[in-house]
Amino acid sequence: MEKKYKVPIGPVHVGLKEPITAWLDLEGEKIVGATVRPGAIHRGIEFMARDRNPIQVIYLSERICGICSFAHVVCFLRAVEDAASIPVPPRAQYIRALVLELERLHSHMLWAGVACYTIGFDSAFHLGMVLRERVMDVLEVLSGNRVNYGVATVGGVRWDVTAELSKTVKDMVKYYKREFSPFYDVVTADPIAKARLRDVGVLTYEEAIAHSAVGPTVRASGVRADLRESSPYEAYVDFGVKAVVPQDYYGKAYGDVFDRFLVRVHEVYQSLDIIEKVMEGLPEGDIMWEKNLNKVLAYLKKAEGTGMSSIEAPRGDDTHVVHLDGGDENVTWWKVRAPTYSNAVSWPLMFKDNELADAPLIINSIDPCISCMERMLVTDASSGDQKVVTRTELLEKCREKTRRLMQNDRN
Amino acid sequence: MMKLEKYLEILPKSLWVTTCNSGSCNGCDIEIVATISPRYDIERLGMKLVGTPRHADVLIVTGPVTKYMTNRLRRIYNQMPDPKAVVAVGNCGASGDVFYKSYNLDGPIDRIIPVDVYVHGCPPRPEAIIEGVAKAVLKLERLREDLKKAGEQQS
Amino acid sequence: MSFPKKPVDNVRSAKTPEEVLSRIREVFGDAVSAELRERKGGKEDRVGFYDAWLSVPKEEFLNLVDTLAEFDFPQFHVISGNDDGDVVTLYYHFTLFQVAGRGKRIGVNVSVPVDKKDLVMPSLFSRIPGVEYSERETREMFGVDFDGLPNKALVFLPENWNESIKPWRRDEAGPSAGDVRELS
Repeated sequence: MEKKYKVPIGPVHVGLKEPITAWLDLEGEKIVGATVRPGAIHRGIEFMARDRNPIQVIYLSERICGICSFAHVVCFLRAVEDAASIPVPPRAQYIRALVLELERLHSHMLWAGVACYTIGFDSAFHLGMVLRERVMDVLEVLSGNRVNYGVATVGGVRWDVTAELSKTVKDMVKYYKREFSPFYDVVTADPIAKARLRDVGVLTYEEAIAHSAVGPTVRASGVRADLRESSPYEAYVDFGVKAVVPQDYYGKAYGDVFDRFLVRVHEVYQSLDIIEKVMEGLPEGDIMWEKNLNKVLAYLKKAEGTGMSSIEAPRGDDTHVVHLDGGDENVTWWKVRAPTYSNAVSWPLMFKDNELADAPLIINSIDPCISCMERMLVTDASSGDQKVVTRTELLEKCREKTRRLMQNDRN
Repeated sequence: MMKLEKYLEILPKSLWVTTCNSGSCNGCDIEIVATISPRYDIERLGMKLVGTPRHADVLIVTGPVTKYMTNRLRRIYNQMPDPKAVVAVGNCGASGDVFYKSYNLDGPIDRIIPVDVYVHGCPPRPEAIIEGVAKAVLKLERLREDLKKAGEQQS
Repeated sequence: MSFPKKPVDNVRSAKTPEEVLSRIREVFGDAVSAELRERKGGKEDRVGFYDAWLSVPKEEFLNLVDTLAEFDFPQFHVISGNDDGDVVTLYYHFTLFQVAGRGKRIGVNVSVPVDKKDLVMPSLFSRIPGVEYSERETREMFGVDFDGLPNKALVFLPENWNESIKPWRRDEAGPSAGDVRELS
């Protein structure tokens, strides 16, 4: 009989609010079971917000996650606007949609690059990162920052789209339409990359539904779930977004890591189309419901109600619930549900029957970000021996598998 | 003491850097990834990101240190060989910044482990992170001299 | 009726929010109160979709979820809530018709008051496995127990946490001033 191992992974793991510690049960190289324990980076953000007013919480919600920071801000603001019945001018809605799509672009490119890095395809990683810098430049022109933009505020946005910016954005769209397909071809046409990504970490249609997976993870399993389509919020009412599912492009959805890659790549093209529509249809008018911050705060102090909002962040459906009490200027209570919170529930299913060498890839496949493992402790259950597998060794294991495949390919 | 610019010209050793996210929002961490990407490319300066603290000279810590991470951060620090330097990247690692009044924070970082260089910004730009790591060179070199002297005295 | 496993992915079989609400009124009568909110957007301020807000007593909660499941598999978002003095009010957030086509989604937000004398809710785990983290989180943050949840380990709090402290409670079970730290 093969020896059984229990392998803990984590917790030094860069994953927004939910960095994960996972224990994998191994039989030889095969993963037979997995337990997941989040919580290393639980900062109690919802608790901190009880002492702050909605304007202050904007900057807190921006720092829930550095990658989808704008998605969290917009989601929080929509919940506040729902609770206090504040209208958002159309021009502000369009600018929000613009920044949301720019953010999706850079998040998906980062992910695609990191997925290539995990399988040892370093040239594609650097190619992806070079491509990503262009959209970071545009975000910097728009807001002055690379990561936390500070663009949105209650009832609108703080920065307007100038003629100069719209030219920058149009140039960027042209650049990506030209430069992105070589990157995509390099990865999808590569037989080794395909062998590493295909049939790894499979999540079936039924499992994805039952475990409430969201975003590119659920779409890769063939479910047409995209909040921009099923519940068009703000400016998305005008755009007619359609969910990207692999069966529309390749006939069949496998629900594996390769499909998650394809979905994200096609969403990059989709985002470019949406950005073009935003720039063409940008309506004239105000960008703020009320320019005077003190008036906004006074209004929010009187407002009472519970508001809720779900929007499609780069990794999936992001939900915020906010309650405001009349007479109290602070946020009474607030609940954040980041997309990985939902996707992490289905991790144990994805791990099942895969090799240990694929574990970093599967962890990465739902896009919790890079540098997932600090070190791992391998315990030999039969003898009680312990062996430390560092993250480098695990990554090396993952890359070794690619080399093995290349060897076979040559023979 | 020598000036940083002068010093970098005769950099005695390539710096190997490891990172630890102790509760940050990920913003600093993606900027650290950006530093190894072709635009900023720290490898041209002889610096390299490594996966394990056992190989590293410099530890980059981000985040306000959650209770879950406190002991793990200490363990990572203790695993690094001497001489070593710690760089706290981001405002929240230095002072907590927006994260205050919580039941689950033990930070800032300098309450847990000694910090040599603070890089401010939320998040700092990649250039600032590179500068912060380069400043750790001076500290490392002094520590190396001390260790050398201590060794000579013993023998 | 068995709980559905597949979502409705046919545009024609999606129901309007009025139809869903009238069915709920038919089953529960006055026990459930309902409010419908329009979500508008775009240049012409058109209605994009609807959110329904229901409030239901604890005894009827499982029946309500089963009634929602007559229409579609209720996709689960999260459990939010607040300590409201004598009760802990939990808000369950569901989605109906998430894959039934453009603008067909209905957000269903269900509020359930749970008395502090009997802080137990029936678990949805056997119906919707995706609730696991939310139920465990609600358990550790509010002290609401879930009947039927197999794994009740801590999710977000550190492993050496004193489990008698429930961070999001506002009464004596919550964190005392000494537990909360000012960083700067």
